[in-house]
Amino acid sequence: MLRRGAAGIDSANSIMGKVFTTAQSFILPIAFLIVWEVIAVILDNPALVPRLTAVIAILVNPFSELIGTGSLAWNTIVSLVRVLAGFAIAVIICVPVGLAMGVSKTINRLVNPLVELFRPLCPIAWIPFAMAMFKTTRVPQLFGVRYTDTILDSVQVGMLFIIFWGGLFPILLNTVHGVSNVREIWLETAKMLGASKVKMFRRVILPAALPAILTGIRIGLGISWMVIIAAEMLPGSDSGIGYLIMYSYELAEMDILVASMVMIGLMGLLLNRGLQLVSNRISGWTALER
Amino acid sequence: MPPLLKLNNIGKIFSTPQGREVSALEDVNIEVEDGEFISLIGPTGCGKTTLLRIIAGLETASAGEIAIQDNQTGASSPLCTLVFQQYSLFPWLNVIENTAFPLEMRGIPRRSRIKMAEEYLELVGLAGVENAKPYELSGGMQQRAAIARALAYDAKILLMDEPFGALDERTRHRLQDTLLEIWRKKKKTIIFVTHNIDEAVYLAGKIFIMASEPGRLVEDITISIPRPRNRLSEEFTNLHLKIRNFLEKAA
Repeated sequence: MLRRGAAGIDSANSIMGKVFTTAQSFILPIAFLIVWEVIAVILDNPALVPRLTAVIAILVNPFSELIGTGSLAWNTIVSLVRVLAGFAIAVIICVPVGLAMGVSKTINRLVNPLVELFRPLCPIAWIPFAMAMFKTTRVPQLFGVRYTDTILDSVQVGMLFIIFWGGLFPILLNTVHGVSNVREIWLETAKMLGASKVKMFRRVILPAALPAILTGIRIGLGISWMVIIAAEMLPGSDSGIGYLIMYSYELAEMDILVASMVMIGLMGLLLNRGLQLVSNRISGWTALER
Repeated sequence: MPPLLKLNNIGKIFSTPQGREVSALEDVNIEVEDGEFISLIGPTGCGKTTLLRIIAGLETASAGEIAIQDNQTGASSPLCTLVFQQYSLFPWLNVIENTAFPLEMRGIPRRSRIKMAEEYLELVGLAGVENAKPYELSGGMQQRAAIARALAYDAKILLMDEPFGALDERTRHRLQDTLLEIWRKKKKTIIFVTHNIDEAVYLAGKIFIMASEPGRLVEDITISIPRPRNRLSEEFTNLHLKIRNFLEKAA
């Protein structure tokens, strides 16, 4: 949507106006940080509320070793690999299934009851099931290899399973929605111009539904990233940003805990922005179309 | 010689969600000769769009039949295509790709279909905006592109559903002239739905006047005023008033 400058006095066009508008988005975060620091100083208990300087020190040195579990950067990368792997599985399965459900009423009737049944289940509810089902099996073991000396050694099947559930429904439902809401006039136009069923799907339905599919993928990735903490609480996990949070809690290292949380927020923001850029490039027409 | 298209007693019944049956069209008989410019005019709800959609094959008639004279439509070229009122261009394709769409559907290789599409764009007066996206064009230009795309399909009959209905008057008049020029050059048969009397009298060789509840034909008028027609001439204004009277009686 276009943002319109406020009319009259508060003109967003002048330089001062722009500075002021930009400043508005910083007022509350800065106030929050100040309140935080004041409380930290008054309490003077780093095991409860760490000083900002301690948290920032960890964040600006992401490669330094922390409490024997590797660096902040390393743990973030491990988590990213897990999330992207589980999420990729969700995309590979859900987009085709969603397309099929959107195109075929029969397939929709077959699959939809399952979707409605499992949808209310939060991905975290699957943790005990994943524990029972996959124990601490790692991905290389699926292929009969004990250790590969790669990052894959720290990816458990159960984690992928939970992350997969995080991405599943946003991707699936947005894809179905996108396909079944392609404007009638585009379908009729294509029909009037001699499109066969296959070409109609490839050249009209798919591009018309793509913005919705990409939105689903973006929301799905966000949720997959959110459930990483839960996934990394599985027994046998010894790395990752979620693990780091739990472990620093046990050691009462609040500065590491808070720094990890900030890291999760930052990475989530980055992933979202990155996908937003990609989807704007691919389907910029949705925003501009009248 | 039999007509190109013959509608025999076409009827259409819609059922409302409450289960009531509404007669949208009753006993419509129309003969369309090859190369004719026909206009269907009538008040909102008279079923003129429904009739057009039945001819297009987007809806099926509940009664009657459509006879097509086969030997006049070459096996390779399709019978008809439809131009909608607005927003029918694909926003993910640029203007040239939109125009080339029917050629792509026919499996014509990219290079030659782009070349052909350029010619159609030239014909509708839209050269120079090949790479623009539909939403970057004005409403009039969008309709020009939609017409170019329909021409690229190379159907015998061009069905047009109020194609200039959303345009301002000046733009509408310009597009009417463009359409007449295309009709003359390409020897198309055109069935043009409108509720604008002036538009129908300016364009058509024959006007079918429709009435509503139930949708039906009430009158057909053949116009022999030579083109280009002068909107201020006496015969033009007389015809305009005559049709207005019919429509007022019909409503």
